[in-house]
Amino acid sequence: MSQLRTSHPWLVASVVASATALLMGSGCGQTASLPAGAPAAKAVMAAPQPSSREHPAVAQFHKSVQPILEARCYECHGDGSKKGGIAFDALTSKGIAQDPQLWLKVLKNTRSHIMPPLDADNPLTTAERAALEGWITTSAFGLDPAQPDPGRVTVHRLNRVEYKNTIRDLMGVHFETNSAFPDDDSGYGFDNIADVLNMSPLLMEKYLAAAHTVVEKAVPKVTLTPAVQIADVGDFKYADGTATEGKLIRGSGLGAAGIPAIPLTFAKEAAISHVFDVKQAGDYRLVIEQNIRGDFTYVPQRAQLTVTVDGGQVSQRDYGWSANRHTEEVHAVHWEPGNHAIGFAITPLPSDPLPRGGQDVVYNLKKVRLEGPLDPARWVHPPNYTRFFTRAAVPADPAQRRAYAKEVLGAFATKAFRRPATSESVEPLVDIAEKYSVTTPGATFEAGIGQAMMAVLASPRFLYRVEKPALTPGATLASVAPVDEHSLASRLSYFLWSTMPDDELLKLAAAGQLRANLGVQVKRMLADPRSAELVEHFTGQWLQSRLVTSVPLNPREILQREGITVNAGRGGGGGNVSDALRTAFKEETEKYFEHVVREDRSVDEFLTSDYTFLNETLASSYKIEGVKGPELRKVTLAAGDPRGGMLTMGSVLMITSNPTRTSPVKRGKWILDNILDAPTPPPPPDIPALEEAKPKDATHVPTLRETMAVHREDALCASCHNRMDPLGLALENFNALGQWRTEEYSQKIDPSGQLATGETFTDIRDLKRILAANHKTEFYRCLTEKLLIYALGRGTEYYDVPAVDKIVANLEKNHGKFSTLLMGVIESVPFQQQRLFPHPVPDAAKPAPRFTQTNPAP
Amino acid sequence: MKSPSSSSANRPFASKLGHGFGRRNFLRGLGATIALPALETFLPRLTAAQLAEAAAAGAVTASGAPLRLAFFQFANGTHPAKWFPTGENREFALNETMEALAGIKHKIQILGGLALEPATAGPDGAGDHGRAGGSFLTGVRVKKTQGADFHSGISIDQVIAQQVGHVTPFKSLEISCDTLRTAGDCDSGYACVYQHNMAWSSPTAPVAPEVNPRFLFERLFGSGSPAERKQNLLMRQQQQRSILDYVANESRSIGRELAAAAKDGRGSGGLSRRDQEKLDQYLTSVRDIEQRIERAEKSVADRPTPAMDTPAGIPTSFSEYIRLNMDMLHLAFQTDNTRIATFLLAGEGSNRDFAEIGIPDGHHYCTHHGNKPDLVAKTCVIDKWYATQFSYFLDKMEKTKDVDGKSLLDNSMILYGCGNADGNRHTHANLPIILAGGGGGALDAGRYVKHEPAPLTNLYLSLADRMGAKGIERFGDSTGRLANL
Repeated sequence: MSQLRTSHPWLVASVVASATALLMGSGCGQTASLPAGAPAAKAVMAAPQPSSREHPAVAQFHKSVQPILEARCYECHGDGSKKGGIAFDALTSKGIAQDPQLWLKVLKNTRSHIMPPLDADNPLTTAERAALEGWITTSAFGLDPAQPDPGRVTVHRLNRVEYKNTIRDLMGVHFETNSAFPDDDSGYGFDNIADVLNMSPLLMEKYLAAAHTVVEKAVPKVTLTPAVQIADVGDFKYADGTATEGKLIRGSGLGAAGIPAIPLTFAKEAAISHVFDVKQAGDYRLVIEQNIRGDFTYVPQRAQLTVTVDGGQVSQRDYGWSANRHTEEVHAVHWEPGNHAIGFAITPLPSDPLPRGGQDVVYNLKKVRLEGPLDPARWVHPPNYTRFFTRAAVPADPAQRRAYAKEVLGAFATKAFRRPATSESVEPLVDIAEKYSVTTPGATFEAGIGQAMMAVLASPRFLYRVEKPALTPGATLASVAPVDEHSLASRLSYFLWSTMPDDELLKLAAAGQLRANLGVQVKRMLADPRSAELVEHFTGQWLQSRLVTSVPLNPREILQREGITVNAGRGGGGGNVSDALRTAFKEETEKYFEHVVREDRSVDEFLTSDYTFLNETLASSYKIEGVKGPELRKVTLAAGDPRGGMLTMGSVLMITSNPTRTSPVKRGKWILDNILDAPTPPPPPDIPALEEAKPKDATHVPTLRETMAVHREDALCASCHNRMDPLGLALENFNALGQWRTEEYSQKIDPSGQLATGETFTDIRDLKRILAANHKTEFYRCLTEKLLIYALGRGTEYYDVPAVDKIVANLEKNHGKFSTLLMGVIESVPFQQQRLFPHPVPDAAKPAPRFTQTNPAP
Repeated sequence: MKSPSSSSANRPFASKLGHGFGRRNFLRGLGATIALPALETFLPRLTAAQLAEAAAAGAVTASGAPLRLAFFQFANGTHPAKWFPTGENREFALNETMEALAGIKHKIQILGGLALEPATAGPDGAGDHGRAGGSFLTGVRVKKTQGADFHSGISIDQVIAQQVGHVTPFKSLEISCDTLRTAGDCDSGYACVYQHNMAWSSPTAPVAPEVNPRFLFERLFGSGSPAERKQNLLMRQQQQRSILDYVANESRSIGRELAAAAKDGRGSGGLSRRDQEKLDQYLTSVRDIEQRIERAEKSVADRPTPAMDTPAGIPTSFSEYIRLNMDMLHLAFQTDNTRIATFLLAGEGSNRDFAEIGIPDGHHYCTHHGNKPDLVAKTCVIDKWYATQFSYFLDKMEKTKDVDGKSLLDNSMILYGCGNADGNRHTHANLPIILAGGGGGALDAGRYVKHEPAPLTNLYLSLADRMGAKGIERFGDSTGRLANL
């Protein structure tokens, strides 16, 4: 949702011929802009042969297309009329045969019934529509059905989500990218678009810092170490057996988030304990990490803390005020196998009463670490060791050490790069590791490996997805090729999981067997919990529903329009919508989408259904009875309930509202953009404020519907608002918080209207029914384009029309089954193949002496 | 020259409070530092020859002190009737929404008459905020697109930084207080990238700003406790160099692999122009860091490090957030880590609500007030609020003594403005522009000058001259230099 559009709903009056505006609009993903790579590609794919003979597309145009345009379009776009700068009778041969962008817009406009307009005298007949669209998709686009153009995905930087997930799967640690990296730019409504994912010195610096942090956290620096057991918040129990509760302590040296600890106040007697389960007899070390924390101001409070091990006292200390003191206390114990308890008891000591406003001092137990057995013979590998290191011991001989380093780093880089790492990539890593462990005082072999791993994590082969074609040795010059198996593995895993390929995908790719097992693999991947990423990121961006967690809304102002006074305290102080409710709205949308995915239901259910997903919070906001508890579950709706489907979800209704009221224009636009594949262009400049259209009668306060009628008084505004406003007004029964209402400012809401395509409806239920019955094709096309954009990480272009049409046709055949859509995208030409560039290369990239072919490793 | 630690009186950032106190006190701690002598300890008095050398390098005042340049951008224009002063030249009275600057009135100039033609609709239609954001420091008409092929211009701060930025560890610093970024286009077909980035190192490479004060601080001074920071910074930098060597080579070899494929006679993978751009972007970023490490290694040993706690993160109060980031910029200037900065208060078109000052509506919504009194009033409250934040920064700069005994503000040129003039009507002439600071004697502050209508970029050229950038004939839509500054 654009912030800027918030201004336009009441600022509308077009002054430019509608066609200009319409042609400026971008499709449901298909944009008018030509990517930089395209012109060159066009020369390969669609170059008309320079010849004196007329281009076949031109001949065809004159024969079968021009008569249609003449009959149906010349009124505005010919015979001297040139609305929107388009005159079809003034096109040159070049304009006819070599301007796919123009024809893409024509196609979009006719398909979404924007052109010819409903009130035109000469609507297109079905046959004419088919002829026109047929000519555009074959001749005008210059596409060869025998060799479709798959387009090209640019070298693709991992976005924040992909980076976080990839680090998790590669390194086994969590790294929070939302705070560590700047927001990713988005394009075409998604934040995984290769062309707009940029790199900057600042970001590069952050990647270096992240590599350091991740390696420090994930990669052990020693081969063996005493085993460690940790007991912290939750492990310890109070005297009555209940689990302890933690509190974050913040301050110097504790990091931004602070660290959790069990607080024991100086003011009250309390005892906590934990039982360690010890398997081996031996010497152990108990390390107690603790903190004394008082307010900034001194207070004379004192307390005594007693530590016991297996019931016997091992220390007793008196503590007084301290602002923030961290200490460690170590106790050596010899334990036999079995249970051993450690206890802490605090007792207030007699002291002067607190001064006015004085705060109690707190003893914070951060954690107790049990190290041992301490006998080196019993030491173990540190956590995460075997993820990276394959041998039990590091060889002593330098040459063997180097060979081992190469083995470790080669395997790691292959995983990190998501394709076999060449020795040109790995040898310098071995050098880094060796140099570090030799020159840095106290550095181990493992620490050196860690240093090299930082280089891997900063490498462009890790940070970017670099795709390569599958080439048949000795084959002749080609302009397209399938992406190779490793590229395909990454395409699949980043599409369905937002993370790197797992071992099974990499193994299949290495064996050249992935493409042959696509169906089985997709099924497996969808069943994997990681597919939740597809649900969250695709849904949240297609419908923009993820914005619901941050969209500014003011319940007090919103509800006041319905005569409801919100007291401070209700709805988050009347000034905001609670986070719990926002999260529930977001989850409703995700759960709904997930249900369709997992049950392989029809995508028609995104438009309308008799169910939705609710928990108690949501149900009470929707005023639906009988749903208890925090878990979202599928709820079948009563007959006539206006919910069911995406259009009437709280998330969607909220993100298309202004902070204090609904916005029918935004809502209408949302439906056109995200459901009907008929996006509206932005409003023209210099539009007067809607308020300036004065009410006819000073005593009459116009309703929103009346105010918006101004949009349709002006023919130029009407060209777009006739399409947006009725859709948005149909949703007026939902306030800006997504709640049902029948009145605003004591006036009854009238949700009826007429679609730009002619159908009339009485309310939102009726509208949903009409959309599902009459506009399924547009919806299929819209959803297909959105999913294809997300899957590829690039915007769709004119050459993608055949791929999209094919999926839409299959959806129609299979009643919108989700698997038809998903497999359609995965098996599509743009997903499976890539465009090649047999062109001279910029000087910056001098050819290497030899090229390492990326055929699958044996 | 005394070593930085030779006496506690000379340690500008020594804090008596140690590091056992929280962020609340961190803010107080910062307050305390400004009263202490600033930079004498590490910027020695210069000999005549050194002075000449420094002057040749650029970004210095006549006295040899560092000359700083910063651009602050606020969102959505103003309500001009309550913003522009009354009177003219030295006889002027601040208007209602600029009241907060009363205390520092003698150190600022208000510049009337400047315009940003590239932000006007022209042939591009709607999207004044997208355009105004993208053109504010670039002076070019940005390409109307939602994403893939966005195209702006190089921004003036980067033009200057590329010439004189090498004198400090950071060529320039990019700071933003706008963490909200929406998906898709942000304004009627303009990519969000135009509204969220002030600085552009090339027409296709926005320089992403830092939003988190904690990370700003760590970039400048290193992580860890005050005692460890310098060592951590140095060690990290050395390790980074070997990593940077490696990854630079890897990026070149990716280019070679893809390109070689195209030349092997069979026509294969190849490198699209976009691929090449991405790899170039990567390599440029790596080189930039390498260069900065080199610069930092030369000077880091002499540089003071603040004895204060690292900021915890992004405060929830917008005012506190802005001020904390301003504190970071102030520190960066004071310690001479950079002399050039951009500071985005809020992205152009921002619809942030101002509930914290009693305005539940979005800013952008209010500015399109259609002359309704209540919305006009709200717009003015927000205008005033932004000016108040700016005055916080100026006051702080004014209270800090520079190496030559003048204030930091005296040795700075701080621009505060917006590419939208009247937020209600989307005008781009007579922009609200304040130029604060003495420019090391090169600016005549304490005036409201109604300039003849001129491109804003003319002012930029005049600022670039003062920063010692050379050979810039034109910039964006400039028509000359702006005189009478």
